[in-house]
Amino acid sequence: MSLPSVNAPIGQTLPISVTINETAHSLDIEPRRSLADVIREDVGLTGTHLGCEHGVCGACTILVDGEPSRACLMLGVHADGAEITTIEGLAEPDGTKHPIQEAMKQAMSFQCAFCSPGFLMSTVALLRDNPNPTEAEIREELSGNLCRCTGYTSIVEGVETAVTLLGSSALGSTGDQATGGVA
Amino acid sequence: MTDTKDTQTSGLGFMGQRVQRVEDDRLLVGKGEFVADVLPEGVLHAAFLRSPFPHATINSINVTAAARLPGVHKVFTGAELNAITNPFLPMFMADGVYTPLYKCMSDEKVRHVGDLVALVVAESRYVAEDALELIEIDYTELTPVGTIDQALEPNREQLWEKADGNVLGNLSDSFGPVDQVFSRADHVITRTFECPRQTNQPMETRGTVVKVDKATGHLEIHNTSQAPHALKWALAAMLTDEGGIKNFGKFVRNADRRQAFTAAAKDFLSKNKESLKAQDNAGQVSQLKKDKSLLKHQGKMAMGLLASTDYPTVKAGDIGGAFGSKGPITREDVAVAAAAKKLGKSVQWIEDRVENLMDGGQAREEQFTISMAVDSDGTLRGMKVDFVLDQGAYPGFPISSLIIPLLWKLYMPGPYNIEAFELNGQIVATNKGRVVPYRGPWANETWLRERMLDVVARELNITPADLRAKNVMREGSMPDAFITGPTIDETMSVAKTFDRALEMIDFDQLEEDKAAAEAKGHRLGLGIASYHEAAPGPPNFFSSAQPGSDMLLSEDGRAEIQADGRIVMYTSQSPHGQSHETTYKQVAADEFGVPLEDVEIVWGDTDRTQFSFLGTGGSRGGPLGAGVMRMTARELRRQVTDVAADMLEAASSDIEIIDGNIHVAGVPAKGITYADVAAKVATDKRTTSGPVFTEQMQYDGVGNGGWSVATHVAWVDIDLETGLVEIPRYLVVEDCGPIINPGVVDGQIRGGVAQGVGAVFYERHHYDEQANLLSTTYMDYLVPTAMEIPHIDIEHMETLTDGENDARGTGEGGMIGAPAALTNAVSDALGVEVYEQYLPPYRILELAGVIDR
Ligand code: FES
Ligand code: FES
Repeated sequence: MSLPSVNAPIGQTLPISVTINETAHSLDIEPRRSLADVIREDVGLTGTHLGCEHGVCGACTILVDGEPSRACLMLGVHADGAEITTIEGLAEPDGTKHPIQEAMKQAMSFQCAFCSPGFLMSTVALLRDNPNPTEAEIREELSGNLCRCTGYTSIVEGVETAVTLLGSSALGSTGDQATGGVA
Repeated sequence: MTDTKDTQTSGLGFMGQRVQRVEDDRLLVGKGEFVADVLPEGVLHAAFLRSPFPHATINSINVTAAARLPGVHKVFTGAELNAITNPFLPMFMADGVYTPLYKCMSDEKVRHVGDLVALVVAESRYVAEDALELIEIDYTELTPVGTIDQALEPNREQLWEKADGNVLGNLSDSFGPVDQVFSRADHVITRTFECPRQTNQPMETRGTVVKVDKATGHLEIHNTSQAPHALKWALAAMLTDEGGIKNFGKFVRNADRRQAFTAAAKDFLSKNKESLKAQDNAGQVSQLKKDKSLLKHQGKMAMGLLASTDYPTVKAGDIGGAFGSKGPITREDVAVAAAAKKLGKSVQWIEDRVENLMDGGQAREEQFTISMAVDSDGTLRGMKVDFVLDQGAYPGFPISSLIIPLLWKLYMPGPYNIEAFELNGQIVATNKGRVVPYRGPWANETWLRERMLDVVARELNITPADLRAKNVMREGSMPDAFITGPTIDETMSVAKTFDRALEMIDFDQLEEDKAAAEAKGHRLGLGIASYHEAAPGPPNFFSSAQPGSDMLLSEDGRAEIQADGRIVMYTSQSPHGQSHETTYKQVAADEFGVPLEDVEIVWGDTDRTQFSFLGTGGSRGGPLGAGVMRMTARELRRQVTDVAADMLEAASSDIEIIDGNIHVAGVPAKGITYADVAAKVATDKRTTSGPVFTEQMQYDGVGNGGWSVATHVAWVDIDLETGLVEIPRYLVVEDCGPIINPGVVDGQIRGGVAQGVGAVFYERHHYDEQANLLSTTYMDYLVPTAMEIPHIDIEHMETLTDGENDARGTGEGGMIGAPAALTNAVSDALGVEVYEQYLPPYRILELAGVIDR
């Protein structure tokens, strides 16, 4: 990932190429625009949410080259050349939910669900790296995401349900396959 | 008592099932539409310049450089926006209370850090924020009022010149023979308690997008509002910019408007005759003594509303939580709408988190002195409480923090037999952010009382459980009403939850666990707390707080069956996480006898839904919102059944509807569908589209309305080395009547308890003595994570009544019980009394005597 100069004058744009949910985008963006704003406003994928814009709440979590990252803390220009997955990239093109989305629905994990894109993306990475986490590991791994509605138990149960669904799906339960090919 | 199952008619039985949420089909795949996602073509972005000072006068403001910045469309000074808007008026007044009037911006004086001084509208938020830095303002700082004690100093600088110092309200009420009870009781025990400021902190901040129709000037406002109809009317009134007389002329010349108004007024007067008769004008007299301008503004706005033929449309889409904070109508809502209207262009404003922490809604900074009169055998006799409530700078609108002491007055004695109660106190203004309702806005009455019961128990040398057992109201000997007024029925079942909770505590094990904890340098403790809440409460609940205040509280419902057979249910609730769409589908589908997907729920759009003053708030969604769904659905089903009976040549009483199949009982093979019946009616009416069946009704709840009650039990394990607290077990035994969807109810309870855990161990909205806000980021205001919130055991008891829609609200209770149970547990663990609600590690260690204060 190359880091272009971010000292360009206001109003000047820089070209970037970025792949989001397997679609290539060539964008001209102001260097100061956050990656979250680029994804939400320039690309129009508003499923990534902004809860704090200072890196604490995790609502803006996306996968950048497979790693969970806070889109509010990155500049759009920093994503030049990157492969990004957002919440919109989890389900199948025909609308079939990703097993983790399905599991979170079954577990009734969320209420307002404003936080859910961040939790879902963090969970994708968590279960890819650790397909059978303990409850303590789940709580620890998800402690970078805030939810104000649920008290978290239902989200932890959602992750546990996802372990079961992924384990029993044809995808098997190891490595990249566990994420349904994401990241 | 009837089992509610008898009243279900679908044969499908969705009621009571853990039905997965239909909302998740859009929300979990990133297809929700939250306010920040509303980005109409060419929308401009707004940013506010906010005061860096808690208290100052504005000498001058220079926006020239900001206005010249490329990309800036307009910089509005406070004075410019104030000139085209009307002030926030008190809508709810009480004897002894003065509510300052204020405008959407501050143009002469700022009253808290974050106060609104100027508004930039630009092509992007980046440019708007650049422009903010170019605005020059000359302030003169005034002495700030940073604490309750400072607010009570007689000669302190005043926030509001017409107030008595910084005191806005003096309230006092008493019930029963207080002096006699206090002079005769064996003991009078007095303690002082305090709760610091908290903030609601939904994960989505506030926001508004004002779309302006170029041709007509009509405003369509997308807003994070819990009460879209209230927002619509408030904006219509506050944006009225013509003089009263001119507007009156317009109204007089418009015959249609005049007739419509007269009809609506007659309807309103006849529906609310009793409430209107009961209202006294003492509140208005108190207000007018301080400020007569209320009448002038009321007149102007009323005339403006009458003359206007175009009110804004308000739409609330998906909302990312609120916990009370998105109910009030705010200055930003008015300022952004006024700016968009003036520019004739669509404008989006999305609050950022720092703004939300500054003024998105704060709560519960309250001090109490409580005296309990008690006999040596543990019989509670009486209670006296003095309070001071810090409402911050600007009163909430349309309901100010005045509502909190009025609710304390009703709730504070709790579910215990008591002979006398007195409440006295003051509402004070300080240079801080707005106080809003926060999940059980009155909750500190439970914290105060339940904490004090433990203090009293220890003084009398009996256990906290025994003291409660001795005094809790029990079936059989329950009075008809609380001494504070509201009537009591079998749903006031606190004793049942309390008894069950005690059964679920293994006290022997507790002693062993305590010993084991002590052996490793920890302390373990257990705390109990019980409460009752009006959800929705008996018919005389609000009138007990203030006569006549029960107007506008019933829930209006509307239902339609379209010509093609689609069932459409309209609710005036504004969901923001409570899963209304799912639970209302469950209720309506059961009534109609159809699958969930055959029912459409419509909410949030003031052009399509019926009026409601409150929208979603007050734990009313289950009892009233679902209740009116059920009743309108039932009536439509009856109409459909009559037509179907004709079509099937049978008696209506023989018609059954199962899974959408309308048939004569026993012959499902010859059934017809809702579409068939609707088509028949459409043909008869010679129509092909639109509704063929409609029903609207108003609903006040069933029977005696009902109480929602619970007992919470917390176990805490305290590490004396670090002051960190773990919660090895947390138990809620609750009774909210029949449960529509246990997955939803459990979620509400857990979420409430989580906020209580946050309040006690992590969250403090910290202003220093000079009223500077110190917790302006999530590094400073600690919202608990999955690491801090324990698993919560929930035990349901479902007391049923004869009512048809017997569900009681459960949205607020978790937060009402938790602070009391947790602080009681800490007190038990450390063997010291706890008089404050916020107990971070350093404070735990101080209380434990490990470190010096
Ligand atoms: S919005 Fe990025 S962490 Fe909160
Ligand atoms: S579900 Fe509302 S913030 Fe998590």
